[in-house]
Amino acid sequence: MQYSNPQLPEGINTSQEHPLKDFLILSAGVIGGLFAILTILILLTGYFSEKIPFEWESNFPVDKIIPFEQNADMPDYLRQVSSRVISQMDLPESMQIRVHYVNDDLVNAFATLGGHVFLFRGLLEKLQSEDELAMVIAHEAAHIKHRHPIMGASHGVVASIFMSIIGGSAGDSLTGMLLDTSGTAAVLRFSRDFEYESDEDATQVLLSLYGHAEGANRLFKLFSEELKGDVPFEFLSTHPITDNRIEQVREMTQSVSSSRTATLTPLPNDFITWLDSQREKHQQEKDSAKKSAQTE
Amino acid sequence: MELIILLTLLALGYGFGRYAEKSHYKSIIQREAELNSIPAIASRIPPHGNPYYDSHLVAGSVVVSVDYFKRTVANLRNLIGGRVTSYETLVDRARREAILRMKEQARNLNAELVFNIKLETASIHKGRKDSIGSVEVLAYGTALVPNN
Repeated sequence: MQYSNPQLPEGINTSQEHPLKDFLILSAGVIGGLFAILTILILLTGYFSEKIPFEWESNFPVDKIIPFEQNADMPDYLRQVSSRVISQMDLPESMQIRVHYVNDDLVNAFATLGGHVFLFRGLLEKLQSEDELAMVIAHEAAHIKHRHPIMGASHGVVASIFMSIIGGSAGDSLTGMLLDTSGTAAVLRFSRDFEYESDEDATQVLLSLYGHAEGANRLFKLFSEELKGDVPFEFLSTHPITDNRIEQVREMTQSVSSSRTATLTPLPNDFITWLDSQREKHQQEKDSAKKSAQTE
Repeated sequence: MELIILLTLLALGYGFGRYAEKSHYKSIIQREAELNSIPAIASRIPPHGNPYYDSHLVAGSVVVSVDYFKRTVANLRNLIGGRVTSYETLVDRARREAILRMKEQARNLNAELVFNIKLETASIHKGRKDSIGSVEVLAYGTALVPNN
């Protein structure tokens, strides 16, 4: 018997495939697959969570999250505009929306579980017409009408459970990051859909109250100034790019006759002075809190 | 920011890894040609022939490390399944290198052949999730040196 070690050809125990191509196909597959599965999962979750009765939401402890004085400070004007807007919205019988005002510099407004809408003084100060105020209130009320808070919360819970099941097997921080990004993008897509839906409803309310939707345009212009240049791609943000929202309003109002000149209803002067006094009050409270912290 | 660091690591791992792998394979193929005269035999029974042999234990071991790029590809594979081709070249190189080092030892002894060779693989420093692992391959066998 003759033993020898001949030169064996390469490529039997190894693969000749280019590793970069392998890597790109793998990552695209993993990200795409995860995105698709999660999207289907979220759709199912949304379908079922919408069926949760609205009354159950009222158990949500809102006052633990935002300490609001029970409408002590809310002026009649705000109450008036809110009820006018909400009456236009075709809410189901059992749904009750409560609008709260918070004396804080935060430029924001949001709707949360239980039918609560919060308006912050920071945003109210930036508004320049009643149309814009109506748009804000209508947009938030539309979120509640379409059950977006409970659906959004369910999406988040289901998505994070799913991601922790998958993410546990990823042994590497880069792989984990890819998975995280893909999961977040899937959830946020639905958040943006909610915003578009609310914008649509709110624009409809503006049209029926004022006959034109110029308030919406003004409001979005305000947003784009505040945001000082949106992120270039919206796939990782909760809200759509402001330009896209303006575009949707434009498509909706194309059918409305432009013969009526779009005049904005201004905010009453005593409301504006009231906002100023609120700001001073807030400033005083902050200063006295600082002083008492120093003397302690 | 962390993403940029990881992508840089990935690119570095890919670049250096490819270079190291290419040059290692070249060296392996060249030395395999040189040491071709000393066959490495897996059989337990020594070949018949000249009875005047001295026998010695010869061994070769090598530790090869995984680079960041290979690990990332392997992690993605762990989710989907299938051939982890990035590790295949690694283990192939380690095995052949170990056998070559064993043959070096044999050549130093003026051996004619090495028989009953065995290979053992050990993974060093499996460690936590994020640490780089390495593979050790040990090849050992009996070298037959003609004593006449």
